[in-house]
Amino acid sequence: MMINVKNLKRHYKTGQIIVKALNGVSFNIKPGEFIAIMGPSGSGKTTMLRILGLIDKQTSGEYTIDKLNLTDLPEEQRRYYRLTQLGYVFQDYALINEMSASENIKILSLMGGQGKIKALKEAHETLVKVGLGDKDDRVPDQLSGGEKQRVAVARAIAKTPKILFADEPCANLDTKTSAQVLDVFKTLNEKYGQTIVMVTHEEWHTKYVSRIIRLKDGLIVSDKKLKKSRKK
Amino acid sequence: MFNDFKVGAVIASSFLKRGNKKTLAFIVFVLALIFVNLVFLPSMMGGIGRMFTNFMEYRYGDIIIEPSGDNLYINNADNILQKVRVVQEVRSATKRLDVGASIKYKQKIVGSTLTGLLPSEEYEISNYPYIISEGEFLGDSSRNEIIIGAMLVEGYFGSEIYDNLGAINIGSFVNVTYSNGITRTYKIKGIMEGTFELTDLNALINYEELKDVFDIDESKATSIVIRVKNPDDSAKAKEKIIAAGVKEPIFTKSEKSDAILRQAMQSLDLVNVISRYVSLIIGASLILIIIYINVLNRKKEIGILKAIGISPNSIVLGYAILSALYVLFGICAGLLLYFLLIFYFTTNPVIFYESIEIIPEIQWLLIIQSISAMLIMSVIAGIIPAWSVTKEKMIEAIWGR
Repeated sequence: MMINVKNLKRHYKTGQIIVKALNGVSFNIKPGEFIAIMGPSGSGKTTMLRILGLIDKQTSGEYTIDKLNLTDLPEEQRRYYRLTQLGYVFQDYALINEMSASENIKILSLMGGQGKIKALKEAHETLVKVGLGDKDDRVPDQLSGGEKQRVAVARAIAKTPKILFADEPCANLDTKTSAQVLDVFKTLNEKYGQTIVMVTHEEWHTKYVSRIIRLKDGLIVSDKKLKKSRKK
Repeated sequence: MFNDFKVGAVIASSFLKRGNKKTLAFIVFVLALIFVNLVFLPSMMGGIGRMFTNFMEYRYGDIIIEPSGDNLYINNADNILQKVRVVQEVRSATKRLDVGASIKYKQKIVGSTLTGLLPSEEYEISNYPYIISEGEFLGDSSRNEIIIGAMLVEGYFGSEIYDNLGAINIGSFVNVTYSNGITRTYKIKGIMEGTFELTDLNALINYEELKDVFDIDESKATSIVIRVKNPDDSAKAKEKIIAAGVKEPIFTKSEKSDAILRQAMQSLDLVNVISRYVSLIIGASLILIIIYINVLNRKKEIGILKAIGISPNSIVLGYAILSALYVLFGICAGLLLYFLLIFYFTTNPVIFYESIEIIPEIQWLLIIQSISAMLIMSVIAGIIPAWSVTKEKMIEAIWGR
């Protein structure tokens, strides 16, 4: 799997002002990489992640995964691609509060056409992967911040996505809980070869990653490999 | 599609199971009131309609046979009675003579219809024997005795609207002058009160007495009134009476009601129909508003579901199911409330004009129609807002904007 991003731009209008959130970024991602996207506020980190996660659309540029051009996919195909090939962890967990941990995950398997029992089993196995095998029936309100984020991670990896995106997954967590979540990412990357792209502004998070892309004013200012990452 | 339904069912059931219980209770309560609004007023209207129809029983029983063409009398009444009484569905039958007369008490004179009847037979036919508010009903041997309708007596309900004979008492004497000029004096044996003009402006005497006054033979009558064993069999009994060879015009009570009360019933029906449509529009609007607010409050969840790859169809279906479940609970609560109200108003009827009791009538067809209408509305009310939110930009939905 190879991800290619070529001259990606995202401009939007705020009143009369055109904000250039992304101003032409290009890079490649190889399988098994664990990438941190860093930069100051307003540098375009989250915007880029949303475009890569097919949650937002670019103004121009090209984005391909395994030579499949995702740039102009119709909405239904984008949704199906999100469901089956991509995982996304939101900053504020974005769990459905009325669903239990296992239901938050199970729903994706059901959408993918699996039966109820198999979907439940898969959900449980995924929760085990993130260390929450005993919290299947807990609703988000009954979980700590770190546990919620781990459920969100479990949901994102439930369909064994080609790539996992995480938008400041530790933004609402203390250092200890953040480390727990990052350990989960590390395990997924090292043990299962999961490709991960994570937006963060915490320098200490970089010790978990294999590559750092730094953005400023919508442009890549540095792209640095730290160590050899595991191939998928 | 099946996957959409499965996911929709999970969305609906989890929102229902773990959503705010107070909000759920409020929604169900409002939906219950909407349901009651749809069915209760028509039930009261039905009760009023039934009350009017029941009034007809005094004069018309379940079936009435009248003279044909321009004839004043049914000439072979006894022969017809024989044919009628052998019809399986018929419980009893009697003949009556109706004549015009003026009744005088002291200086007051009123015009009235006098009905000559066979008193002992009326117990099985009409309510006349049971609506005597003062004095007693006639007996088979009653002669020179009369029952006066309450509206002819000062102080009774309705008497202020019509000419009345003043304050007469049981045992007082009135003079009755018939259309053939004969005048007779009668002692008032009772006052009947049916709270209906067709009864309370009339007077009753013994058939035999009236036959003598007009010097007509035994077999003459102005009507034959029939009571059937089961009122639902009236139409069937009518058919059998016709088949038995009775040529005179035959009417069921409802046919007579239609003819006599048509205007009143049509007005009632019109009010009923308007009220149903207004209730339906109000109900539809309220359901839409309730579900719309509910969906808007879950805008963020819809955005998240979309973002993780759940299809818009599943989301819309989920809200349609959720909305239908809300309404189903509302209908159940509404039915409970409705039957409580029916029970209350059956045991404590609404009193109309001081003495007329209006008891609500359960209309099953309307209940089924209302349940269907509310369920259809709920599905539409769930689909429209959820569909509109799924069409919004994902990012904005997640932000709840």
